[in-house]
Amino acid sequence: MTRGSLSVRQVAASYGATPVLDEVSLDVVPGEFVALLGASGCGKTTLLRAISGFVRVDRGRVIASDRDITDTPPEKRGMAMVFQSYALWPHMSVAKNIAYGLKLRRWPRERIAGRVDETLALLKLGGLGERNVEQISGGQRQRVALGRALAVEPELLLLDEPLSNLDARIRLELRHEIRALQKRLGITAIHVTHDREEAMVMADRIAIMHRGRIEQVGAPETIYQSPQSAFVADFLGASNICDLVLDRSDDEIRIAPGPLNTAARVPPRQAERLNGSAHGPVRAHFHSNAARLVSADSDTDAKTLTLFGRIAQSSYPGGFYRYAVAVGGREFVVDSDRHLSEGETVGISLPVEALHLFPHTGNNEEREETS
Amino acid sequence: MRSPSLIGLLLVTPALLLLAALFVYPLGFSLVSAFTVEGAGDGGDRFGLFNFVNAYELYATDIAFTVLIVGLSTALIGIFAVAIGGYLTLGEVGFAVALLRWLYRWPLFIPFIVAAQCMRTFLAKNGLMNNALSAAGLLEPLSAQSFLDWRGIVITFVWKQTPFVALLVAGAMASIDRSTIEAARNLGASRLRALIEIVVPQVHAILVVGLVLSFVTMMSVLSVPMMISGNTPTMMTVDMAFRINAYGDYGTANALGFISYLLTGAVAWIYLRRGVREGPP
Repeated sequence: MTRGSLSVRQVAASYGATPVLDEVSLDVVPGEFVALLGASGCGKTTLLRAISGFVRVDRGRVIASDRDITDTPPEKRGMAMVFQSYALWPHMSVAKNIAYGLKLRRWPRERIAGRVDETLALLKLGGLGERNVEQISGGQRQRVALGRALAVEPELLLLDEPLSNLDARIRLELRHEIRALQKRLGITAIHVTHDREEAMVMADRIAIMHRGRIEQVGAPETIYQSPQSAFVADFLGASNICDLVLDRSDDEIRIAPGPLNTAARVPPRQAERLNGSAHGPVRAHFHSNAARLVSADSDTDAKTLTLFGRIAQSSYPGGFYRYAVAVGGREFVVDSDRHLSEGETVGISLPVEALHLFPHTGNNEEREETS
Repeated sequence: MRSPSLIGLLLVTPALLLLAALFVYPLGFSLVSAFTVEGAGDGGDRFGLFNFVNAYELYATDIAFTVLIVGLSTALIGIFAVAIGGYLTLGEVGFAVALLRWLYRWPLFIPFIVAAQCMRTFLAKNGLMNNALSAAGLLEPLSAQSFLDWRGIVITFVWKQTPFVALLVAGAMASIDRSTIEAARNLGASRLRALIEIVVPQVHAILVVGLVLSFVTMMSVLSVPMMISGNTPTMMTVDMAFRINAYGDYGTANALGFISYLLTGAVAWIYLRRGVREGPP
């Protein structure tokens, strides 16, 4: 038996007539930290609630620790969840909140007291045991909620946007604490978040969700460097989009030169996801940090694409300048150390490796709200 | 220019006068009358506890009976209201929840006297309840008995007042953070345990308010004990009506009224003390 494993198999769920999950499948190995990342309404929380048993699935199976729990009520699933709103019980002290799960498991009183003390120490809450949960800070409350979940040594730890209500500094601190604790205790964790950076720094693997489906699952580096769809590229920050034309000759794929761009050679691996249609119009996504501003007449090589544009707006966020560069009808945000004036003609230099190429769907403004 | 406090005073004056005329004066009058014996001895009024001695000697059993009936009813109302609120909050069968939500409020709109009349035909020896039980084969017709005694009063009170408390409690339950319930269930609490250990403690202040108000209401109902079981022992309201209607004895009736006021006051005091101890939520 593999304690702590999770397998979601072709799960579909809906709220009334509105489908929310569409044949979602996900496998998680014991001890793994998987983040479900997506914009509001993508179905990530519903998937977590389907795993915890609070949302009934229409089709598909949920298997945890080799046990089919699709029809098991939430209280018998052996999971522990941490909520965005902390969900602490206001009528109980910090210690009683942590002890409740153990009381339900009928642990003897002395053993409960021992575990509560351990948990308080583990979460740096020593001395707060007798406090009312409404008398402690937000960060401490979320630590108590985490302690309450960890105290029962769950097979699966479910984190439902646990850091969203905290201020930035505490959020960064807790991110690392949660990750460190999860690794140390070897608990499998599923973490729902809409914060890209949070998912990137915490998770072993990230599942990006969109419109009730998982668009891509993979290690943070993998999905960042090789997004499988335009949505994933966009969501992970490769949100600068330009339209290019590919030109295929015998064994070489080239970006055709145009009025707004130079020519460049595309390595075959780069064109893989174009499904053999590596010819004609394509759409390229790139991260702002891959772009460099150069003078419009500088030399380029075959591995670099240069886009020609004009500085439309400039600002100084501190340490560098930030420019909005108008290229044709689009604007790209590019940072640079050099001071340039608005209206100046510049080139945006992009290593071809940094371009994510996708088939041109024909719909120019098909951009989703990404938070 | 007039000071704002004077204008404020003028604005509240009509309300204060109305309160004084319709509430403070009659209450004060009946309180004074409870301690007064008219035309005693030398023809004048005399202050004393005579009315209370009279009330105690004649109606001590009824006072105890009233406390027991209303106390038992309050406890049952609390249990049923929590059960209804709990099912509305935690129920998983959508149809059953919707049906209960639709049904449970009906008795709220039925006056006590109509409720009592309905119960008379329902709980009598040959009433609807026993007939239904006999027809279902659950009761031998010969062993059927009338419930038109203390049990009938309790059943009527509980039937009539549960929706009121359930309405308050269900509203309070609906407004608590649902994730606190889910957190408990997630850790292994059954729905019943989550209700008792997580939901009820979070709404107990509203529950107690509902029960105190119900207690006070039931203490003042005349029609139900009169129609369901007017024989001894009966409730204090029946005794009060009897003292006034049969003897014109306002003194003893007011003494009984004062005693019921003390009882409800004690219940309210327990609640207020609790509120002070716990502080504002």
